[in-house]
Formats: sequence, C-alpha cells, structure tokens
Amino acid sequence: MTRFVLKRCLYALGSLFILSVTIFLLIRLTGDPATLLAAPEAKEADLQAIRVQLGLDRSWAVQYVHFVGGALRGDFGTSLYYRVPAGTLYWQRLPASLQLAAVAMAISLLVGLSVGILAAVHVGRWWDSVGKLIALLGLSMPSFWLGLLLIYVFAVSLHWLPTSGRGTAAHLVMPAIALSGYFTAAHMRLTRSSMLDVLGSEYVKLARLKGVPETWVLVKHAFKNALIPVVTLAGINLVLMINVAVVVETVFAWPGIGRLLYEGIEFRDFPVVQTVVLLGGVMVIAANLTVDILYAWIDPRIRVER
Amino acid sequence: MRANRRSRLGCLVLVLSLVLLAPAPSPAAPQGTVTYAVHITIAPAWFDPGDNPGQITPFIIQYALHDAMIKPMPAGMMTPSLAESWTASKDGRVYEFVLRKGVIFHNGDPMTAEDVKFSFERYKGAGVKLLKEKVEAVTIVDPHRVRFHLKEAWPDFMGFYGSPATGAGWIVPKKYLEKVGDDGFKRAPVGAGPFKLASMTPGVEIVLEAHEKYWRKAPKVKQIVLKSVPEGSTRLAMLKRGEVQIAYKTDGPLGEEVRKDPKLDLVFSGGIGVFWLQFEELNDPKSPWHNRKVRLAANHAIDRKALSEAETLGASPPTGSIIPREFEWALPVDPVAYDPKKAKQLMVEAGYPNGFDAGFITPIPPYYSLAEAIGGYLGAIGIKTKVRKMERAVMFDKRRKKELGGICLCGNGGFGNAVTRIDADMWSGGVHSVLKDAEIDKLFDEQGREADPKKREVLLKRIQQRVVDQTYFAPIFQLQWPNGVSKAMKVSGMGLIPTFYYTGPFEEIELR
Repeated sequence: MTRFVLKRCLYALGSLFILSVTIFLLIRLTGDPATLLAAPEAKEADLQAIRVQLGLDRSWAVQYVHFVGGALRGDFGTSLYYRVPAGTLYWQRLPASLQLAAVAMAISLLVGLSVGILAAVHVGRWWDSVGKLIALLGLSMPSFWLGLLLIYVFAVSLHWLPTSGRGTAAHLVMPAIALSGYFTAAHMRLTRSSMLDVLGSEYVKLARLKGVPETWVLVKHAFKNALIPVVTLAGINLVLMINVAVVVETVFAWPGIGRLLYEGIEFRDFPVVQTVVLLGGVMVIAANLTVDILYAWIDPRIRVER
Repeated sequence: MRANRRSRLGCLVLVLSLVLLAPAPSPAAPQGTVTYAVHITIAPAWFDPGDNPGQITPFIIQYALHDAMIKPMPAGMMTPSLAESWTASKDGRVYEFVLRKGVIFHNGDPMTAEDVKFSFERYKGAGVKLLKEKVEAVTIVDPHRVRFHLKEAWPDFMGFYGSPATGAGWIVPKKYLEKVGDDGFKRAPVGAGPFKLASMTPGVEIVLEAHEKYWRKAPKVKQIVLKSVPEGSTRLAMLKRGEVQIAYKTDGPLGEEVRKDPKLDLVFSGGIGVFWLQFEELNDPKSPWHNRKVRLAANHAIDRKALSEAETLGASPPTGSIIPREFEWALPVDPVAYDPKKAKQLMVEAGYPNGFDAGFITPIPPYYSLAEAIGGYLGAIGIKTKVRKMERAVMFDKRRKKELGGICLCGNGGFGNAVTRIDADMWSGGVHSVLKDAEIDKLFDEQGREADPKKREVLLKRIQQRVVDQTYFAPIFQLQWPNGVSKAMKVSGMGLIPTFYYTGPFEEIELR
C-alpha cells in the first residue's frame, strides 16, 4: 500500500509540474501584458519601463524558476492588474466560490438523485420522461442563458430576488441554480443508470424473493450501492464547480475565483491566471489522488492491478 | 393703544433682529447613496495617480479621489483646479504655478507646494521618461507657488503636465505617502478629491464617502458605491430593478431597452475616442490604397450616420478628422458625404471598375460589428474585405509593429491635444503611424521648436489640412457611449466634461 501511495504521489507531482509548465507557456503565448497595461499610444520606452517594473523583461526560464520557487513558498507573485499579491486575491475570492459550489452541489444532488431514482423506479413512464427532459435541458442549456433568464424572471419581473452580487442568502439562489443546471442533469443521468444496474442485480432480486418490502429494497439495497459512482462523480464535480464557474460568476457579478480567472485572462494578468489554474489543478489532482487511495484501500485488487 | 402699538413694534424689531443675527444657513449636507454598475473591474492600482498608465479608465475613480493642478472640466479641457493660475517664461523654459489656498486632503493635511513637487518627482506612469528628460528641476518659491524649470523650451509641457495624458499633475499628500509607502497608499489612498475611500473589496465594489471640505464645493451625495458588473445585461437588470442608479455602457439593444423604460434615461458620454480606417499599405505603389482616388472612394462609400445609429443609437458624431474637435489646436473637419455613386465613379477613374480584394479589415477588439458593417459598405463599391478578429493584446502588438496589413479599423482614445494625436498617428515616427509624408514631418518638426502658440497652431492645422487633402484616412466617428440612468438622479454627472466617458465632476451629482 505504501508503495502504491508513493507512486500515486509521484504521478501527482509530475502532473503538477506539467500543468505549471503548460499554463506558464500558454498564457505567455497570448501576448505582451504591457501592451494592455499601457495606453495603446504609449512609446516603446514606456512599455519597456512597465516590463522592467513587472519583471517581464527577464528570460522565460528565469521567470519560470521565479514562479515555481515563489509558489513553493506560497508566494504566487504580484497581480499585474491589481498590484496586490495574486495569492491574497485568490484566498479572498475562494470562500465565495466554495459557498456557491456547496449550494449548487446541494441543489444538484437533491434534484439529481431524487429524479434519477424516480426515473429508474418508474422506467419508461411519466417520471422517466420528466427525468429525460431535465437531463436534456440541463445538459444543453448554456449557464449564461439560464442565468440571464433567471435574472429576467425573478429579479426584474417578479422582484423576488436581488439581481447580482454577494451578501444575503437570497443572493445565492439564482447563481446556485444556474451553476447547478449541468451538474444536476449529470447526476440525474448517472443515478438513473446506476440504479437500473443495481435493480437488475442478483442480490436485489434475492432481497425481493426474501419478501423484503420494496421501499426497503430501494433504500437499503439498491440506492446505497447505486450511490458509489454518483458520489465519486459528485466529488470531482464539486472541484469543477469551485474552479470553472467563470460564466456564472461573471453574469451574477459573484466575487469568486471564476471571475478572478476571467479578469486575469482579460488583462493578461500572468500571476493571477497561473495562481488560479495551478491551485485549481492542485484541487483536482488532490481529489483524484484521494479517490485513488480510497479505492485501493477499499479494494486491494486495484493496488495489484496498477 | 399706543402701548399696544409699541409692543407690536418691539416684537417686530426682536423678530427682525433674530433673523438678521442668526447664523447664515449652511449649505445642505451631503445626503443619499448613488450606486453605479461599472462595466470594468476597478483596480486598486488606479488609486495612485503616480502609476497612471496613460489610459482614460483610471479616471473613472481618480476624478472622485484625487484632484489635479489642471484638468478637463465642464468649463474646458484645461481648467485650473489645484493650480489657480500658471505662467510661462518668455523663453518657454520656466512654468510657474500659483496654488489654490485652503485645499485640504482627506486626512486633514493642507496641500502645499511640497506636495506638488513630491507628486511630480515620485511619478512613474505613462510619459515619465519624456517628462524627466525635459524637466530639469522643480523649485518651491513659497508654500503656494512652484516653478518647473525645463532643460530647453518644450511647448508640449502643459499638454503632458496639464492634461490626463499623464498623471504627473495629480497631487498626492507627501507626508501621508512617506508614512504609509506606495503599497500602503494603494490600500488606503488619501487625496484632495471630492470623495474619500470608505471601503474596498477588490474586484467587487468600492465605497466612497463625501469629502465635505472639498475646495470647490461639498458634494451633494453622501455616499457612492461603484460595483463591478462586467455583464451588460446584468447591469441593465440592476438598473431596472432599482439596485443601481447609474449603469455605464448600456450599448446596442441594452440602450434600446433603457430608452423604452419610462423610469430610466439614456445619457450619452465620451467622444475622446475616434475611430477611423487606416490603409496600412498606402505607401506601397502596387497597392490600390496608394491611389488617393481609391481612398476617397472608400470615404464616400461609408454612411457614418447609419453606423452611429446602429452601433451607438446615433450618439457618436460622424467626423472628418481623426482628432477630436474639442482638442486644443484641432482642425474641425466635416465628414466626407455618403455618396456611393461618386464612390463608384472614383473607383472607375482610379482604374478599378470591378473593385479589388483588399484583404483583411482588422478592428480594435471588440468593435467587430462596426467592422462588418464597414466591410459591407466597401463591398457595395467593389472593395472586398474580410473581418479578422484578433485577440486584444495580439492586435495591439501587431498594430504597434505595423504588421497588420490590409485595413485597420483603428482608434485613439488618449487624452492630450492635437499634438499627441499627430505624434502617434500622422508623424512618420509615430507609434501607430503608417504615413510617410515629408511635408507632415517637416511641419511637425517645426512646430516642436516653435514657442509662439499662435504660430504653432498654424503649423499644426496645416498638418491636419494636409492629411485631409491627401485623404490619408477614412475617419468614422467620435465614439460616444449610451449609459442607463435612473430618473432618481437629478444630475448624473455624465456628459458634463467634454469627451469624458465617465461621471465627472463627482461633486455635481445629485439625487432628486
């Protein structure tokens, strides 16, 4: 087991190294931030002064070593746009993203699991059709469009909810629904298919033959086992919700890391983009590593196979 | 009866005495909160005018927090503010400024010549190299008088120091800045403007409170909240719901929505940004753009009024020059008339009866729809183009290196005067200029040495006339933005300062 964990950790470190190089290079291929920070009519001397001031005049290799060295000490550099430490900006914005993702995840699990179970139990009937419709809408409706629709109906027309921003619980409702749309559909589809698999399994048939009440069969035998892949997916999705809510956070002016990433990309703010992507990558890699280790702990065959 | 009359008279005298001796009523205290939905993210870097990048965006906040020696105001582009007056020596090497007395920074410190000298010497924003090269020394004559000594006569000194082309003339408190340092200043800025910073959540909102001792007058509004809302539809929704009183940049269909809503007003602002077509290959004798008749045909092919209607609800005035007519020394030029028949005739005369393929038309992001529409007009006279969308930083870089090719839907939105625009876009050494006209270069050189303002103006206008005569560009319009304003606002402060896109002066804004 120790060897397996060490191997996995090594893979994780390798992934982080590749991610850091990739994001470092890709963001630099998009152009010179000095041209956006200065006036378009600025003279070359002004641009060079900005580059020197921000350390962009050094070679990429030196900049990369500086970036990684700083990141290992928790210093992600100073934002080119905000002129404050990129790490400070990230940690300031993270709670808002965590809050939004947690509520969106709760909504997606509540709706996704309930409808998924009902669709599986009533397969081919009315509930199943409702499930298919929710899945279709959730997977195909862009979150920005859903967001704008919600704003128009609940904020502008009905005056029930505030349009945007963060503050009260009411501010959370619309962005959480908009963010949960896609994930609700994904959770619903997986719950349905997983439930159908389990309901057709031998031990469920045995439970029914033994005369166990249907509700008990569904709750104790079927649902519990069907939940394993859904929980795995939900774990990964939660990390995604925290890190990729760029559109929803922009539409609702939600001060999370998704919006920080949007601003970072817009202004070629290298330190901010690097920080958000790298720490997001750390989250994804940590989640995968945890899942891998948990699986290996639960099922020893995995350790041998891998 | 007499006693009664006497007592009545006594009462009257008493009442009159009370009225006359009572203190004069103080001006109404600031009240209410005005909330803005701002289209961009306000960066703390903008709290410090010493770092100004030469763009107009930092002034969205600096007009509230800070004040300048001279700045654009409703009265004119160079209105004395912290400087009451200024004079230039005959040899053009010494500029003396008389400072306004009684100016108080937000922390209670009085503004003196020390602050003016300090603000200039610590400045490291746009144009710093040129300013430091030209200015030999800043000397304090007395606490309210300061002199700038130049190494040689530099007629553009006021263009740089007395306009928002740089932030060198925006004054910060020396004592406070030395105490808190540059980083501390960005966290808690102190200025001499009409509003002071109350709180800030980076990227989310900024709360400002009235500086009641502002020298010009106490603001009428107690609090201002600037919320960053990048999505236009969300800004409109906030305005319609009454969450904000002013929503910046509600263009296109959003502006139409504002116009339809009886509770809202559509207010236009700006104009400093001019758009034009730049023929990148006009120096190449093989290029059709080398022929003046083709350039004139392109000018006649474009319906500028219709473009203004489609893009900015008719707010942007069509123009015949690439320099805003409000600028000092600008030559006002009427736009070339929309005349497709004449344009086609000119194409025939130029030897292109069947038109030609002009390649790409590359607009400054995000003005793609404007480029598409212009491409349509050019297509109608046989000039085929394709709109090329480029990422902002890449486009700016290619434009600077003069590698765009084809046609550029270019623009310039920087503060300054006619000289700064000629320098960037007409003079052969200009950052973005593709012109190589010996006469323009000669005149530009001459005006740089000319100390007499009147003679200089003549030279600058001759340059502009030469550009018009040669039809070097196809100017489109001076871009104005539609903004949504709630009827709860009595004065929104938008459109008061000529060519300025944002609220200003902040002390003028008022709720009903």
